[in-house]
Amino acid sequence: MTRNAAIVGGGHADWGKREATWKDLAQEAGKAAFDDVDGLGPDDVEGLFVGAVQPERFAFQSHVAPLAAELLGIDVTKMISRTELACASGQAALRYAWLAIASGQLDVALVLGIEKMNLGDDYMEETQAGMTNVLDREFDGVNGLNAPSFFSMFAQRHMHEHGTTREQLAKVSVKNKRHAANNPYAQFQREVGVDDVLDSYPVAPPLCLLDCSGITDGAAGLLLVSESKARELTDTVAYVTGSGQSCMASNSINNLPSMSAWPQATVAAEEAYDQAGIDDPVEELDVAEIHDCFSISEIIEYEDLGWVEKGEGGQFIEDGRSELDGDIAVNPRGGLLGCGHPLGATGVSQALEVYKQFTGEVESARQVPDSPETGLIHNLSGSGSVHSVMTLARDPQ
Amino acid sequence: MTDDTDHTDDVPPRTTVSVPETIEMPRLLDFYDLQDADHTRIHEFYDRLSDGSLSTTACQDCGERHFPPRIVCPECTSDDLEYVSLPHDGTLFAFAAVRGGGPVGMDTPFVTGVVDLNGVDIQLSARIDGTDYGDLAIGDPVTLQVVDIDGPTNQDRVFYRFTPRDDTA
Repeated sequence: MTRNAAIVGGGHADWGKREATWKDLAQEAGKAAFDDVDGLGPDDVEGLFVGAVQPERFAFQSHVAPLAAELLGIDVTKMISRTELACASGQAALRYAWLAIASGQLDVALVLGIEKMNLGDDYMEETQAGMTNVLDREFDGVNGLNAPSFFSMFAQRHMHEHGTTREQLAKVSVKNKRHAANNPYAQFQREVGVDDVLDSYPVAPPLCLLDCSGITDGAAGLLLVSESKARELTDTVAYVTGSGQSCMASNSINNLPSMSAWPQATVAAEEAYDQAGIDDPVEELDVAEIHDCFSISEIIEYEDLGWVEKGEGGQFIEDGRSELDGDIAVNPRGGLLGCGHPLGATGVSQALEVYKQFTGEVESARQVPDSPETGLIHNLSGSGSVHSVMTLARDPQ
Repeated sequence: MTDDTDHTDDVPPRTTVSVPETIEMPRLLDFYDLQDADHTRIHEFYDRLSDGSLSTTACQDCGERHFPPRIVCPECTSDDLEYVSLPHDGTLFAFAAVRGGGPVGMDTPFVTGVVDLNGVDIQLSARIDGTDYGDLAIGDPVTLQVVDIDGPTNQDRVFYRFTPRDDTA
Protein backbone atom coordinates (compact mmCIF):
# COMPACT_ATOMS: atom_id res chain seq x y z
CA MET A 1 0.00 0.00 0.00
CA THR A 2 1.19 3.46 -0.81
CA ARG A 3 -0.44 5.43 2.02
CA ASN A 4 -1.76 4.81 5.51
CA ALA A 5 -5.35 5.56 6.50
CA ALA A 6 -6.67 6.14 10.00
CA ILE A 7 -9.94 6.42 11.88
CA VAL A 8 -10.07 9.80 13.63
CA GLY A 9 -13.51 9.58 15.23
CA GLY A 10 -17.15 8.79 14.77
CA GLY A 11 -20.41 8.16 16.52
CA HIS A 12 -23.65 6.25 16.72
CA ALA A 13 -27.38 6.65 16.49
CA ASP A 14 -29.15 4.97 19.40
CA TRP A 15 -29.68 1.30 18.56
CA GLY A 16 -32.77 -0.76 19.22
CA LYS A 17 -36.38 -0.81 18.21
CA ARG A 18 -36.47 2.80 17.07
CA GLU A 19 -39.40 5.04 16.29
CA ALA A 20 -37.41 6.42 13.42
CA THR A 21 -36.92 5.94 9.68
CA TRP A 22 -33.84 4.87 7.71
CA LYS A 23 -33.30 8.54 6.86
CA ASP A 24 -33.55 9.54 10.54
CA LEU A 25 -30.90 6.97 11.45
CA ALA A 26 -28.59 8.17 8.67
CA GLN A 27 -28.79 11.73 9.92
CA GLU A 28 -28.27 10.79 13.58
CA ALA A 29 -25.13 8.77 12.82
CA GLY A 30 -23.75 11.40 10.43
CA LYS A 31 -24.23 14.14 12.98
CA ALA A 32 -22.66 12.01 15.73
CA ALA A 33 -19.61 11.39 13.52
CA PHE A 34 -19.07 15.03 12.62
CA ASP A 35 -19.73 16.18 16.21
CA ASP A 36 -16.97 13.82 17.37
CA VAL A 37 -14.21 15.19 15.14
CA ASP A 38 -13.06 18.77 15.58
CA GLY A 39 -11.92 20.13 12.28
CA LEU A 40 -13.94 17.94 9.91
CA GLY A 41 -17.40 18.66 8.55
CA PRO A 42 -19.50 17.66 5.56
CA ASP A 43 -17.62 20.08 3.30
CA ASP A 44 -14.36 18.19 3.94
CA VAL A 45 -15.66 14.78 2.85
CA GLU A 46 -14.47 13.69 -0.59
CA GLY A 47 -15.71 10.09 -0.50
CA LEU A 48 -18.87 8.55 0.99
CA PHE A 49 -19.19 4.82 1.61
CA VAL A 50 -22.46 3.43 2.95
CA GLY A 51 -22.89 -0.13 4.24
CA ALA A 52 -26.53 -1.16 3.93
CA VAL A 53 -27.94 -4.63 3.41
CA GLN A 54 -31.63 -4.54 2.66
CA PRO A 55 -32.97 -0.98 2.49
CA GLU A 56 -34.91 -2.13 -0.57
CA ARG A 57 -36.68 -4.71 1.58
CA PHE A 58 -36.90 -3.01 4.98
CA ALA A 59 -37.28 0.64 3.91
CA PHE A 60 -38.32 0.30 0.23
CA GLN A 61 -35.42 2.53 -0.77
CA SER A 62 -32.45 2.01 -3.05
CA HIS A 63 -29.60 4.28 -4.27
CA VAL A 64 -29.04 5.00 -0.61
CA ALA A 65 -25.54 6.50 -0.68
CA PRO A 66 -26.66 9.58 -2.66
CA LEU A 67 -29.63 9.87 -0.32
CA ALA A 68 -27.26 9.97 2.65
CA ALA A 69 -25.12 12.57 0.85
CA GLU A 70 -28.17 14.77 0.42
CA LEU A 71 -29.26 14.36 4.02
CA LEU A 72 -25.82 15.23 5.37
CA GLY A 73 -24.97 17.97 2.88
CA ILE A 74 -21.97 16.22 1.40
CA ASP A 75 -20.77 17.30 -2.04
CA VAL A 76 -18.98 14.13 -3.04
CA THR A 77 -16.07 14.96 -5.36
CA LYS A 78 -14.15 11.68 -5.50
CA MET A 79 -16.11 8.52 -4.80
CA ILE A 80 -19.55 7.44 -3.62
CA SER A 81 -20.71 3.87 -3.14
CA ARG A 82 -23.10 1.65 -1.24
CA THR A 83 -21.74 -1.75 -0.23
CA GLU A 84 -23.78 -4.89 0.27
CA LEU A 85 -22.13 -7.95 1.74
CA ALA A 86 -24.91 -9.04 4.07
CA CYS A 87 -23.75 -8.87 7.69
CA ALA A 88 -20.25 -7.66 6.66
CA SER A 89 -21.51 -4.68 4.64
CA GLY A 90 -20.20 -2.14 7.15
CA GLN A 91 -16.71 -3.60 7.16
CA ALA A 92 -16.84 -3.77 3.36
CA ALA A 93 -17.64 -0.04 3.22
CA LEU A 94 -14.69 0.66 5.52
CA ARG A 95 -12.44 -1.57 3.44
CA TYR A 96 -13.27 0.28 0.21
CA ALA A 97 -12.73 3.65 1.91
CA TRP A 98 -9.35 2.42 3.15
CA LEU A 99 -8.37 1.25 -0.33
CA ALA A 100 -9.45 4.57 -1.84
CA ILE A 101 -7.28 6.50 0.61
CA ALA A 102 -4.38 4.04 0.44
CA SER A 103 -4.29 4.29 -3.34
CA GLY A 104 -4.18 8.09 -3.21
CA GLN A 105 -7.65 8.72 -4.63
CA LEU A 106 -8.85 10.78 -1.70
CA ASP A 107 -7.93 12.05 1.77
CA VAL A 108 -11.19 12.20 3.71
CA ALA A 109 -13.95 9.59 3.71
CA LEU A 110 -17.15 9.24 5.69
CA VAL A 111 -18.06 5.60 6.30
CA LEU A 112 -21.65 5.02 7.33
CA GLY A 113 -23.44 1.81 8.23
CA ILE A 114 -27.22 2.02 8.38
CA GLU A 115 -29.99 -0.52 8.79
CA LYS A 116 -33.67 -0.12 9.57
CA MET A 117 -34.96 -3.61 10.41
CA ASN A 118 -38.00 -3.32 12.66
CA LEU A 119 -41.09 -3.06 10.49
CA GLY A 120 -43.38 -3.21 13.52
CA ASP A 121 -44.18 -6.02 15.94
CA ASP A 122 -46.75 -7.50 13.58
CA TYR A 123 -44.18 -7.90 10.83
CA MET A 124 -41.28 -9.63 12.61
CA GLU A 125 -41.74 -12.71 10.45
CA GLU A 126 -41.44 -10.59 7.34
CA THR A 127 -38.10 -9.23 8.59
CA GLN A 128 -36.87 -12.73 9.40
CA ALA A 129 -38.03 -14.09 6.07
CA GLY A 130 -36.42 -11.18 4.26
CA MET A 131 -33.06 -12.29 5.58
CA THR A 132 -33.48 -15.86 4.36
CA ASN A 133 -32.59 -14.71 0.86
CA VAL A 134 -28.94 -14.08 1.77
CA LEU A 135 -28.63 -17.80 1.08
CA ASP A 136 -29.56 -19.26 -2.32
CA ARG A 137 -33.27 -18.52 -2.25
CA GLU A 138 -34.08 -21.22 -4.80
CA PHE A 139 -32.40 -24.09 -2.95
CA ASP A 140 -31.93 -22.85 0.68
CA GLY A 141 -34.51 -20.14 1.31
CA VAL A 142 -37.19 -22.48 0.09
CA ASN A 143 -36.44 -24.73 3.06
CA GLY A 144 -37.50 -22.04 5.47
CA LEU A 145 -34.27 -21.55 7.34
CA ASN A 146 -34.02 -18.39 9.39
CA ALA A 147 -30.80 -17.21 11.02
CA PRO A 148 -31.24 -18.84 14.46
CA SER A 149 -32.12 -22.17 12.87
CA PHE A 150 -29.17 -22.02 10.48
CA PHE A 151 -26.65 -21.23 13.23
CA SER A 152 -28.23 -23.79 15.55
CA MET A 153 -26.87 -26.45 13.19
CA PHE A 154 -23.36 -25.06 13.67
CA ALA A 155 -23.90 -25.30 17.44
CA GLN A 156 -25.23 -28.83 17.03
CA ARG A 157 -22.26 -29.93 14.91
CA HIS A 158 -19.66 -28.19 17.09
CA MET A 159 -21.07 -29.80 20.23
CA HIS A 160 -21.25 -33.15 18.41
CA GLU A 161 -17.71 -33.03 17.05
CA HIS A 162 -15.84 -31.20 19.81
CA GLY A 163 -17.85 -31.65 23.00
CA THR A 164 -18.56 -27.94 23.37
CA THR A 165 -21.08 -27.50 26.19
CA ARG A 166 -24.33 -25.60 26.44
CA GLU A 167 -22.89 -23.67 29.41
CA GLN A 168 -19.87 -22.56 27.38
CA LEU A 169 -22.20 -21.07 24.77
CA ALA A 170 -24.09 -19.24 27.52
CA LYS A 171 -20.88 -17.75 28.90
CA VAL A 172 -20.33 -15.89 25.62
CA SER A 173 -23.72 -14.20 26.00
CA VAL A 174 -23.10 -13.43 29.67
CA LYS A 175 -19.75 -11.76 28.89
CA ASN A 176 -20.96 -9.70 25.97
CA LYS A 177 -24.20 -8.59 27.58
CA ARG A 178 -22.22 -7.51 30.64
CA HIS A 179 -20.22 -5.19 28.40
CA ALA A 180 -23.36 -3.94 26.65
CA ALA A 181 -24.88 -3.07 30.02
CA ASN A 182 -22.32 -0.27 30.10
CA ASN A 183 -22.73 0.84 26.49
CA PRO A 184 -25.24 3.69 26.13
CA TYR A 185 -26.18 2.99 22.51
CA ALA A 186 -26.60 -0.80 22.93
CA GLN A 187 -30.01 -2.38 22.30
CA PHE A 188 -29.76 -4.71 25.33
CA GLN A 189 -28.33 -2.93 28.37
CA ARG A 190 -29.07 -5.62 30.94
CA GLU A 191 -26.69 -8.12 32.47
CA VAL A 192 -27.73 -11.77 32.45
CA GLY A 193 -26.43 -14.91 34.12
CA VAL A 194 -25.77 -18.36 32.68
CA ASP A 195 -29.12 -19.61 34.03
CA ASP A 196 -30.96 -16.72 32.39
CA VAL A 197 -29.53 -17.80 29.03
CA LEU A 198 -30.33 -21.48 29.58
CA ASP A 199 -33.86 -20.69 30.78
CA SER A 200 -34.70 -18.37 27.88
CA TYR A 201 -36.98 -19.60 25.09
CA PRO A 202 -35.36 -22.36 22.99
CA VAL A 203 -35.73 -20.51 19.69
CA ALA A 204 -33.75 -23.10 17.76
CA PRO A 205 -32.23 -25.76 20.04
CA PRO A 206 -29.57 -25.88 21.24
CA LEU A 207 -29.74 -22.08 20.88
CA CYS A 208 -31.97 -20.08 23.21
CA LEU A 209 -33.27 -16.55 22.79
CA LEU A 210 -30.36 -15.06 24.77
CA ASP A 211 -27.88 -16.82 22.47
CA CYS A 212 -29.18 -14.65 19.61
CA SER A 213 -28.46 -11.08 18.55
CA GLY A 214 -31.43 -8.81 18.01
CA ILE A 215 -33.45 -7.36 15.19
CA THR A 216 -32.09 -3.87 15.42
CA ASP A 217 -32.52 -0.41 13.95
CA GLY A 218 -29.19 1.35 14.11
CA ALA A 219 -26.48 3.34 12.40
CA ALA A 220 -22.85 4.27 12.94
CA GLY A 221 -20.50 6.61 11.18
CA LEU A 222 -16.75 7.13 11.24
CA LEU A 223 -14.27 9.39 9.52
CA LEU A 224 -11.33 7.71 7.83
CA VAL A 225 -8.54 9.97 6.60
CA SER A 226 -5.05 9.80 5.15
CA GLU A 227 -2.10 9.72 7.58
CA SER A 228 -1.05 13.29 6.74
CA LYS A 229 -4.59 14.54 7.36
CA ALA A 230 -4.83 12.53 10.58
CA ARG A 231 -1.67 14.13 11.95
CA GLU A 232 -3.27 17.57 11.41
CA LEU A 233 -6.36 16.58 13.38
CA THR A 234 -5.51 14.54 16.45
CA ASP A 235 -2.85 12.60 18.33
CA THR A 236 -4.55 9.24 18.89
CA VAL A 237 -5.93 7.46 15.85
CA ALA A 238 -6.57 3.90 14.68
CA TYR A 239 -4.60 3.02 11.59
CA VAL A 240 -5.82 0.24 9.33
CA THR A 241 -2.87 -2.15 9.23
CA GLY A 242 -4.30 -5.17 7.44
CA SER A 243 -7.45 -6.47 5.77
CA GLY A 244 -8.39 -9.86 4.41
CA GLN A 245 -11.44 -11.61 3.01
CA SER A 246 -12.25 -15.12 1.92
CA CYS A 247 -15.12 -16.83 0.11
CA MET A 248 -14.58 -20.44 -0.92
CA ALA A 249 -16.78 -20.55 -4.03
CA SER A 250 -19.81 -21.18 -1.86
CA ASN A 251 -22.90 -19.42 -0.61
CA SER A 252 -25.55 -22.13 -0.67
CA ILE A 253 -25.65 -24.49 2.31
CA ASN A 254 -25.27 -27.26 -0.25
CA ASN A 255 -21.66 -26.22 -0.86
CA LEU A 256 -20.30 -25.01 2.48
CA PRO A 257 -16.84 -26.40 3.31
CA SER A 258 -17.87 -27.19 6.91
CA MET A 259 -20.71 -26.79 9.40
CA SER A 260 -18.50 -26.61 12.49
CA ALA A 261 -15.61 -24.52 11.19
CA TRP A 262 -15.03 -21.44 9.09
CA PRO A 263 -11.83 -22.03 7.13
CA GLN A 264 -12.65 -18.76 5.35
CA ALA A 265 -12.01 -16.94 8.66
CA THR A 266 -8.57 -18.52 8.83
CA VAL A 267 -7.69 -17.41 5.29
CA ALA A 268 -8.97 -13.86 5.91
CA ALA A 269 -7.21 -13.58 9.26
CA GLU A 270 -3.90 -14.89 7.98
CA GLU A 271 -4.01 -12.35 5.16
CA ALA A 272 -4.70 -9.50 7.60
CA TYR A 273 -2.08 -10.73 10.11
CA ASP A 274 0.48 -10.96 7.33
CA GLN A 275 -0.18 -7.40 6.16
CA ALA A 276 -0.04 -6.13 9.75
CA GLY A 277 3.09 -8.10 10.64
CA ILE A 278 1.29 -10.05 13.36
CA ASP A 279 2.98 -13.38 14.11
CA ASP A 280 1.17 -14.37 17.32
CA PRO A 281 -2.35 -12.88 17.44
CA VAL A 282 -3.05 -13.94 21.03
CA GLU A 283 0.13 -12.24 22.17
CA GLU A 284 -0.08 -9.21 19.92
CA LEU A 285 -3.80 -8.28 19.80
CA ASP A 286 -5.18 -6.29 22.73
CA VAL A 287 -8.83 -5.97 21.69
CA ALA A 288 -11.07 -7.74 19.18
CA GLU A 289 -14.59 -7.04 18.00
CA ILE A 290 -15.74 -10.30 16.43
CA HIS A 291 -19.03 -11.42 14.92
CA ASP A 292 -21.11 -12.97 17.72
CA CYS A 293 -24.38 -13.03 15.80
CA PHE A 294 -25.02 -16.14 17.93
CA SER A 295 -23.05 -17.37 20.94
CA ILE A 296 -21.69 -20.34 18.98
CA SER A 297 -20.20 -18.00 16.38
CA GLU A 298 -17.77 -16.41 18.84
CA ILE A 299 -16.54 -19.82 20.01
CA ILE A 300 -15.86 -21.01 16.45
CA GLU A 301 -14.12 -17.71 15.70
CA TYR A 302 -11.67 -18.09 18.63
CA GLU A 303 -10.54 -21.22 16.83
CA ASP A 304 -10.59 -20.20 13.20
CA LEU A 305 -9.03 -16.77 13.77
CA GLY A 306 -6.07 -18.82 14.97
CA TRP A 307 -6.21 -18.15 18.71
CA VAL A 308 -6.67 -21.74 19.94
CA GLU A 309 -6.61 -25.23 18.47
CA LYS A 310 -9.76 -26.45 16.70
CA GLY A 311 -12.30 -27.65 19.24
CA GLU A 312 -10.91 -25.63 22.15
CA GLY A 313 -13.03 -22.51 21.64
CA GLY A 314 -15.38 -23.49 24.46
CA GLN A 315 -12.46 -23.79 26.83
CA PHE A 316 -11.19 -20.33 25.72
CA ILE A 317 -14.34 -18.63 27.09
CA GLU A 318 -14.51 -20.94 30.10
CA ASP A 319 -10.95 -20.02 31.08
CA GLY A 320 -11.73 -16.32 30.86
CA ARG A 321 -9.20 -15.73 28.11
CA SER A 322 -11.60 -13.44 26.18
CA GLU A 323 -12.54 -11.27 29.17
CA LEU A 324 -11.47 -7.62 29.40
CA ASP A 325 -8.41 -8.64 31.43
CA GLY A 326 -7.83 -11.88 29.49
CA ASP A 327 -5.45 -12.71 26.64
CA ILE A 328 -7.58 -10.79 24.11
CA ALA A 329 -10.46 -8.59 25.25
CA VAL A 330 -13.26 -9.78 22.99
CA ASN A 331 -16.30 -7.65 22.25
CA PRO A 332 -15.93 -4.96 24.93
CA ARG A 333 -18.56 -3.02 22.94
CA GLY A 334 -21.08 -5.69 23.92
CA GLY A 335 -20.98 -7.57 20.66
CA LEU A 336 -23.93 -8.25 18.44
CA LEU A 337 -25.46 -10.16 21.35
CA GLY A 338 -25.56 -7.03 23.47
CA CYS A 339 -25.63 -4.13 21.02
CA GLY A 340 -27.98 -5.79 18.56
CA HIS A 341 -27.15 -6.25 14.90
CA PRO A 342 -28.33 -3.58 12.48
CA LEU A 343 -26.76 -5.48 9.61
CA GLY A 344 -24.99 -2.74 7.66
CA ALA A 345 -23.96 -0.78 10.76
CA THR A 346 -22.23 -3.51 12.76
CA GLY A 347 -18.81 -3.49 11.07
CA VAL A 348 -18.56 0.29 11.24
CA SER A 349 -19.49 0.23 14.91
CA GLN A 350 -16.90 -2.46 15.66
CA ALA A 351 -14.09 -0.44 14.06
CA LEU A 352 -15.21 2.67 15.88
CA GLU A 353 -15.14 0.73 19.16
CA VAL A 354 -11.52 -0.27 18.58
CA TYR A 355 -10.66 3.40 17.95
CA LYS A 356 -12.50 4.48 21.12
CA GLN A 357 -10.69 1.79 23.10
CA PHE A 358 -7.40 3.27 21.85
CA THR A 359 -8.40 6.79 22.90
CA GLY A 360 -9.87 5.62 26.21
CA GLU A 361 -13.22 7.27 25.55
CA VAL A 362 -15.45 4.29 26.41
CA GLU A 363 -17.25 3.78 29.73
CA SER A 364 -14.72 2.71 32.37
CA ALA A 365 -16.55 -0.57 33.12
CA ARG A 366 -15.82 -1.83 29.63
CA GLN A 367 -12.46 -0.15 28.97
CA VAL A 368 -9.77 -2.67 28.09
CA PRO A 369 -7.00 -2.16 30.67
CA ASP A 370 -3.43 -1.04 30.04
CA SER A 371 -3.98 1.26 27.06
CA PRO A 372 -4.71 -1.11 24.19
CA GLU A 373 -2.71 -0.41 21.05
CA THR A 374 -3.71 -3.16 18.63
CA GLY A 375 -7.10 -4.44 17.59
CA LEU A 376 -9.07 -6.54 15.14
CA ILE A 377 -12.56 -6.55 13.72
CA HIS A 378 -14.19 -9.60 12.16
CA ASN A 379 -17.47 -10.22 10.38
CA LEU A 380 -19.00 -13.26 8.80
CA SER A 381 -21.77 -12.86 6.28
CA GLY A 382 -24.56 -14.88 4.73
CA SER A 383 -24.22 -18.56 5.48
CA GLY A 384 -20.81 -17.82 6.99
CA SER A 385 -19.63 -18.26 3.43
CA VAL A 386 -17.62 -15.04 3.59
CA HIS A 387 -15.33 -13.87 6.38
CA SER A 388 -13.82 -10.40 6.58
CA VAL A 389 -11.01 -9.43 8.96
CA MET A 390 -9.36 -6.05 9.51
CA THR A 391 -6.52 -5.19 11.89
CA LEU A 392 -6.09 -1.76 13.47
CA ALA A 393 -3.27 -0.17 15.48
CA ARG A 394 -2.42 3.10 17.20
CA ASP A 395 0.83 3.31 15.29
CA PRO A 396 1.24 3.02 11.55
CA GLN A 397 3.51 0.26 10.34
CA MET B 1 -36.89 32.26 14.68
CA THR B 2 -40.63 32.24 14.07
CA ASP B 3 -42.66 33.12 11.03
CA ASP B 4 -45.58 35.19 12.34
CA THR B 5 -47.48 35.28 9.06
CA ASP B 6 -51.03 34.10 9.71
CA HIS B 7 -52.04 31.37 7.25
CA THR B 8 -55.06 30.08 9.17
CA ASP B 9 -57.57 31.49 6.68
CA ASP B 10 -55.61 30.05 3.81
CA VAL B 11 -57.10 26.52 3.80
CA PRO B 12 -55.64 24.48 0.94
CA PRO B 13 -57.81 22.16 -1.14
CA ARG B 14 -57.77 18.56 0.06
CA THR B 15 -58.33 15.27 -1.71
CA THR B 16 -57.93 11.51 -1.14
CA VAL B 17 -55.83 8.88 -2.88
CA SER B 18 -56.59 5.21 -2.27
CA VAL B 19 -54.05 2.45 -1.66
CA PRO B 20 -55.44 -1.10 -1.91
CA GLU B 21 -55.92 -2.95 1.39
CA THR B 22 -54.44 -6.13 -0.07
CA ILE B 23 -52.43 -6.95 -3.13
CA GLU B 24 -51.81 -10.19 -4.97
CA MET B 25 -48.70 -11.85 -3.60
CA PRO B 26 -45.74 -10.76 -5.70
CA ARG B 27 -44.15 -13.85 -7.19
CA LEU B 28 -40.68 -13.10 -5.82
CA LEU B 29 -41.99 -13.22 -2.25
CA ASP B 30 -42.82 -16.85 -2.95
CA PHE B 31 -39.58 -18.80 -2.52
CA TYR B 32 -40.37 -21.37 -5.20
CA ASP B 33 -39.01 -20.38 -8.59
CA LEU B 34 -40.98 -20.68 -11.79
CA GLN B 35 -39.75 -24.02 -13.00
CA ASP B 36 -40.67 -24.44 -16.68
CA ALA B 37 -38.60 -24.01 -19.83
CA ASP B 38 -40.01 -20.52 -20.35
CA HIS B 39 -38.40 -19.30 -17.13
CA THR B 40 -35.34 -21.30 -16.16
CA ARG B 41 -32.58 -23.17 -17.95
CA ILE B 42 -32.52 -25.85 -15.22
CA HIS B 43 -36.11 -26.88 -15.90
CA GLU B 44 -34.98 -30.47 -16.55
CA PHE B 45 -34.16 -30.79 -12.84
CA TYR B 46 -37.74 -29.88 -11.98
CA ASP B 47 -39.20 -31.99 -14.81
CA ARG B 48 -37.34 -35.04 -13.52
CA LEU B 49 -38.33 -34.28 -9.92
CA SER B 50 -41.95 -34.03 -11.00
CA ASP B 51 -41.53 -37.49 -12.54
CA GLY B 52 -40.20 -38.78 -9.20
CA SER B 53 -36.45 -38.60 -9.73
CA LEU B 54 -33.90 -36.46 -7.87
CA SER B 55 -31.14 -35.44 -10.25
CA THR B 56 -28.39 -32.92 -10.84
CA THR B 57 -25.93 -31.85 -13.50
CA ALA B 58 -22.60 -33.51 -14.25
CA CYS B 59 -19.92 -31.95 -16.42
CA GLN B 60 -19.17 -33.94 -19.57
CA ASP B 61 -15.71 -32.36 -19.84
CA CYS B 62 -14.25 -32.63 -16.32
CA GLY B 63 -16.67 -35.09 -14.71
CA GLU B 64 -17.58 -32.81 -11.78
CA ARG B 65 -21.01 -33.40 -10.31
CA HIS B 66 -22.73 -30.26 -8.96
CA PHE B 67 -25.54 -29.44 -6.62
CA PRO B 68 -27.62 -27.38 -7.16
CA PRO B 69 -27.78 -28.04 -10.92
CA ARG B 70 -26.01 -25.51 -13.12
CA ILE B 71 -25.77 -24.39 -16.70
CA VAL B 72 -22.01 -23.74 -16.46
CA CYS B 73 -19.55 -26.01 -14.66
CA PRO B 74 -17.95 -24.05 -11.79
CA GLU B 75 -14.86 -26.25 -11.98
CA CYS B 76 -13.95 -25.85 -15.67
CA THR B 77 -16.50 -23.37 -17.12
CA SER B 78 -17.74 -25.94 -19.64
CA ASP B 79 -21.39 -25.72 -20.58
CA ASP B 80 -21.55 -29.32 -21.76
CA LEU B 81 -23.57 -30.66 -18.84
CA GLU B 82 -25.88 -33.67 -18.59
CA TYR B 83 -28.43 -34.59 -15.94
CA VAL B 84 -27.66 -37.63 -13.79
CA SER B 85 -29.85 -39.34 -11.21
CA LEU B 86 -29.07 -39.05 -7.51
CA PRO B 87 -29.83 -41.52 -4.72
CA HIS B 88 -33.09 -40.93 -2.87
CA ASP B 89 -31.79 -42.12 0.49
CA GLY B 90 -29.44 -40.39 2.87
CA THR B 91 -28.60 -39.64 6.49
CA LEU B 92 -29.12 -36.54 8.61
CA PHE B 93 -25.89 -34.54 8.93
CA ALA B 94 -27.54 -31.71 10.89
CA PHE B 95 -31.05 -30.50 11.60
CA ALA B 96 -32.81 -27.51 13.09
CA ALA B 97 -36.16 -26.46 14.44
CA VAL B 98 -37.87 -23.45 12.89
CA ARG B 99 -40.27 -22.24 15.56
CA GLY B 100 -41.06 -18.80 14.16
CA GLY B 101 -39.94 -16.38 11.52
CA GLY B 102 -40.48 -18.74 8.62
CA PRO B 103 -40.88 -17.41 5.09
CA VAL B 104 -44.25 -15.97 4.17
CA GLY B 105 -46.74 -18.80 3.78
CA MET B 106 -44.73 -21.41 5.72
CA ASP B 107 -46.44 -22.35 8.96
CA THR B 108 -44.15 -23.03 11.92
CA PRO B 109 -42.97 -25.14 13.64
CA PHE B 110 -41.14 -27.36 11.20
CA VAL B 111 -37.77 -29.07 10.87
CA THR B 112 -35.14 -28.33 8.29
CA GLY B 113 -31.76 -29.91 7.92
CA VAL B 114 -28.78 -31.04 5.91
CA VAL B 115 -28.77 -34.51 4.35
CA ASP B 116 -25.76 -36.57 3.22
CA LEU B 117 -26.96 -38.52 0.18
CA ASN B 118 -25.89 -42.15 0.32
CA GLY B 119 -22.89 -43.08 -1.80
CA VAL B 120 -22.23 -39.67 -3.37
CA ASP B 121 -20.34 -36.62 -2.14
CA ILE B 122 -23.39 -34.36 -2.06
CA GLN B 123 -24.99 -32.61 0.92
CA LEU B 124 -28.44 -31.11 0.47
CA SER B 125 -30.20 -28.57 2.59
CA ALA B 126 -33.81 -29.68 2.81
CA ARG B 127 -36.97 -29.63 4.89
CA ILE B 128 -37.40 -32.75 7.03
CA ASP B 129 -41.10 -33.53 7.19
CA GLY B 130 -43.16 -36.09 9.08
CA THR B 131 -41.27 -35.76 12.36
CA ASP B 132 -40.59 -33.50 15.33
CA TYR B 133 -37.25 -31.93 16.18
CA GLY B 134 -37.03 -33.86 19.44
CA ASP B 135 -37.41 -37.23 17.71
CA LEU B 136 -34.36 -36.83 15.47
CA ALA B 137 -30.64 -37.53 15.88
CA ILE B 138 -27.57 -36.93 13.73
CA GLY B 139 -27.11 -39.94 11.45
CA ASP B 140 -30.79 -40.86 11.19
CA PRO B 141 -31.75 -42.36 7.81
CA VAL B 142 -34.04 -40.24 5.65
CA THR B 143 -35.65 -40.66 2.25
CA LEU B 144 -36.86 -38.38 -0.55
CA GLN B 145 -40.36 -36.97 -0.64
CA VAL B 146 -41.66 -34.99 -3.64
CA VAL B 147 -43.88 -32.07 -2.69
CA ASP B 148 -46.39 -30.44 -5.03
CA ILE B 149 -46.61 -26.69 -4.56
CA ASP B 150 -50.14 -25.29 -4.47
CA GLY B 151 -50.50 -21.68 -5.73
CA PRO B 152 -50.12 -18.77 -6.36
CA THR B 153 -49.30 -19.43 -10.05
CA ASN B 154 -51.03 -21.67 -12.55
CA GLN B 155 -47.84 -23.67 -13.01
CA ASP B 156 -47.49 -27.17 -11.65
CA ARG B 157 -44.49 -26.75 -9.36
CA VAL B 158 -42.65 -29.30 -7.21
CA PHE B 159 -39.87 -29.41 -4.65
CA TYR B 160 -37.97 -32.01 -2.67
CA ARG B 161 -38.05 -32.71 1.04
CA PHE B 162 -36.97 -35.67 3.13
CA THR B 163 -38.76 -37.82 5.71
CA PRO B 164 -37.37 -40.25 8.30
CA ARG B 165 -36.90 -43.74 6.85
CA ASP B 166 -38.09 -46.60 8.99
CA ASP B 167 -35.23 -49.08 8.59
CA THR B 168 -36.53 -51.48 11.21
CA ALA B 169 -39.35 -52.73 8.97
